Amino acid sequence: MPDQHHEPEHAVAGTGMGGTMDLGVDEAETLERRPTGPDGTGPQGRPRSLWSDAWRDLRRNPVFIVSGLVILFLVLISLWPSAIASGSPLACDLSKAQQGSSAGHPFGFDGQGCDVYTRTVYGARTSVAVGVLATLGVAVLGSVLGALAGYFGGIWDSVLSRITDVFFAIPVVLGGLVLLSVITSNTVWPVIGFIVLLGWPQLSRIARGAVITAKQNDYVQAARALGASHSRLMLRHIAPNAVAPVIVVATIALGTYIALEATLSYLGVGLKPPSVSWGIDISAASPYIRNAPHALLWPSGALAVTVLAFIMLGDAVRDALDPKLR
Amino acid sequence: MLLEVRDLHVEFRTRDGVAKAVNGVSYGVDASETLAVLGESGSGKSVTAQAVMGILDMPPGRITGGEVVFRGRDLLQLKEDERRKVRGAEMAMIFQDALSSLNPVLTVGDQLGEMFTVHRGMSRKDARAKAVELMDRVRIPAARERVKQYPHQFSGGMRQRIMIAMALALEPALIIADEPTTALDVTVQAQVMDLLADLQREYHMGLILITHDLGVVADVADRIAVMYAGRIVESAPVHDIYKAPAHPYTRGLLESIPRLDLKGRELYAIKGLPPNLTQIPPGCAFHPRCPLARDVCRTDEPPLYEVSATRGSACHFWRECLDG
Amino acid sequence: MGRYVVRRLLQMIPVFVGATLLIFLMVNVMGDPIAGLCGERRCDPATAAQLKREFGLDKPVWQQYLTYMGNVFTGDFGTAFNGQEVTELMSTAFPVTIRLTLIAILFEIVIGITLGVVTGLRRGRPVDSGVLLLTLVVISVPTFVTGLLLQLLLGVKWGWIRPSVSSEAPFDELILPGLVLASVSLAYVTRLTRTSIAENRRSDYVRTAVAKGLPRHRVVVRHLLRNSLIPVVTFIGADIGFLMGGAIVTERIFNIHGVGYQLYQGILRQNTQTVVGFVTVLVLVFLVANLVVDLLYAVLDPRIRYA
Repeated sequence: MPDQHHEPEHAVAGTGMGGTMDLGVDEAETLERRPTGPDGTGPQGRPRSLWSDAWRDLRRNPVFIVSGLVILFLVLISLWPSAIASGSPLACDLSKAQQGSSAGHPFGFDGQGCDVYTRTVYGARTSVAVGVLATLGVAVLGSVLGALAGYFGGIWDSVLSRITDVFFAIPVVLGGLVLLSVITSNTVWPVIGFIVLLGWPQLSRIARGAVITAKQNDYVQAARALGASHSRLMLRHIAPNAVAPVIVVATIALGTYIALEATLSYLGVGLKPPSVSWGIDISAASPYIRNAPHALLWPSGALAVTVLAFIMLGDAVRDALDPKLR
Repeated sequence: MLLEVRDLHVEFRTRDGVAKAVNGVSYGVDASETLAVLGESGSGKSVTAQAVMGILDMPPGRITGGEVVFRGRDLLQLKEDERRKVRGAEMAMIFQDALSSLNPVLTVGDQLGEMFTVHRGMSRKDARAKAVELMDRVRIPAARERVKQYPHQFSGGMRQRIMIAMALALEPALIIADEPTTALDVTVQAQVMDLLADLQREYHMGLILITHDLGVVADVADRIAVMYAGRIVESAPVHDIYKAPAHPYTRGLLESIPRLDLKGRELYAIKGLPPNLTQIPPGCAFHPRCPLARDVCRTDEPPLYEVSATRGSACHFWRECLDG
Repeated sequence: MGRYVVRRLLQMIPVFVGATLLIFLMVNVMGDPIAGLCGERRCDPATAAQLKREFGLDKPVWQQYLTYMGNVFTGDFGTAFNGQEVTELMSTAFPVTIRLTLIAILFEIVIGITLGVVTGLRRGRPVDSGVLLLTLVVISVPTFVTGLLLQLLLGVKWGWIRPSVSSEAPFDELILPGLVLASVSLAYVTRLTRTSIAENRRSDYVRTAVAKGLPRHRVVVRHLLRNSLIPVVTFIGADIGFLMGGAIVTERIFNIHGVGYQLYQGILRQNTQTVVGFVTVLVLVFLVANLVVDLLYAVLDPRIRYA
């Protein structure tokens, strides 16, 4: 969702009055509730932890297995692209421009005569790098700030809420255009930096909600009454219970960040040639859409499958951790 | 008999297997009579009631056998549309948590009036007047003004009165009250129970009172059916049971009530937990928790032995139990 | 209720200032606001200094911001460097984007809610799984890919529509772009409605409605739908602001001369006044849309109205 900054839950969270509508709160709450039998009774079998229960579900879920395998494959080819693509993505031959597939060049050639297969394989590296690094940055920054605000509350919480409001009010693609159009460096770093800058408020809201919920648990109150220090409370009691919604949202966000990088590159402000990125290739192929649709379709397909894999993985994990909708 | 449930079986498909929630329950209730159905949560008392009302979630629920004979016809054989006309009009239900059981975005007047517009084809205006009348009848002060309010604007006790008014609206022959006072403050509980009992007398309704609270039962019930793991383990007139239970589970329930005359004595608790409904123990389902259990209890499921003409117990050793 | 509106309006002020200031800083500090003035060449230092004085760019940034905002509130958004009034650009661009957004919202309401209700009531059946998978695909494929593919198929291959939109941008030419713009939100509306319906379907008050002997359609429409649509309506309301700001990609693909197009041109040509002006209006639209949503929420849910 490159030109969206919000998921519906967040739209609801942002507009609901007070914290009760917050996705994070909702999610964390439902994670506490375990499956119930008829009459609302819990089964009396062995106690199961949230994580082992979720893992048991995931292993049986074909969506999880397929998306997991796709992601594994993507990571492998972005680490060692030469294993399956022999040529260089920058070796182009104008005389072959727009040609269809031929022996050794299964995807054909693009408008510059570059091999579409090789470029598509190498494009994975950019996408995976941006996705993973941006998600790490967003997750660390967002969950630390969100957790602190949720834990300490008061003025910090208010200030953080206002700041996230400000960031939510700026359309992402627009912000990207404004910020990145003045940057000349042609690497993934400005794109990653931009995504972290605009992405952390989303995660901070989730983390804040999750921490507030976890904080209200009786055993946390008990530990506090027994004089546990802030850091001990946070790390031992709250974090393990607040981390599930953060992981779910971060996984889904990873997919959207990949789409965002491609969108910015498509608009000409993300990576620029001679970098290799699916967004660049799609943008370059769009003028030749009549004569050489393959040059557009392959990188588009690769991009779509990649984003889909991450979003489906996140969805599967969410379902496993949230038994409410089973 | 106004209502007679015969050998009812209900199952639920769950991720952990088939949960046998109701396993051959039979009970009956007459006009003006109050039957209390007693049991822990998971005993199948609510599921039985939902099957009788026809509001069981199917799937995952499934009625696998039995009859629900109400005013001479088996409700389980009716088409859904005929069944629907029975619900609300001839039998009605009162739920435990009135706050969540009332629609939060409709006024109480709309929700009460709906009974009349849908079942009786009344105009909205007439239905509104009826709603005010009903609220008066369940003793809600300033009914004319409050009819325009939403459920969350009422106190817990008042909300439960609205639930009662809604059940009463079309003067049904049978009311099923599923833990009607559990969610209320103790002081309000008595008022709501009194109201329910008064109205029952006034309209000669049959009442099935589902509860896990023996204290509530003693004052209002005529008969008691005790349920455990989807079966009726003891069925008797209320005084008989309080005098001497004929099933160790009933005894356990009675002894776990705090009593003033036994102040200072340790409170009795039934050991163990109710069984997992996907794996009900063979023989008597209660045997793992039963102080009287012998070998036969582990292999032979006890039938409902006839203790007297009006009384039954599903314990091989009911005599022993009766003698204390 | 009145106090609530006032409080919300007051809360909007810091967000408005923060967001516009952020954009103002990005454009003015990170970019070079006079770079676009001297044509292709760089300005010589003397001209640059003179231009800076002329536009007040030699003053501190906070002072520039205050001057700018002061002007904005008198309806003066400044002049683009080509001499055109920014307000003039807005008066041609905004109607186009508003039409586009309207079509997108209509798609969300009609298709999104319908699909959501159908799947929510048939959870776990094939139609539900199918639609659910489809929404995931739509969410996953970036809008610019969806747009290009639909343009390729419907416009180029099958010739059903004109691949690019004329400058008047009438409603009928905006149907496909509107669908593309709506696509991701459409999928979210479907999922949100589905979840909401499925959740509420098991709620106690729906059970009560069934126990009252109400016909099925009445249970669904009056009791289930009314409650389930509250979050959906608020999502769609908030989406108005996002759609208008997010139309850049769609407008570029279909060559629509709306807000996104003007912004894109403005950014590439470092046309400071245009960019800041348009963004200011968009932020305002976003904030007002959210305010309206909050009020709508209170109208739809009496628990909030009387809280």
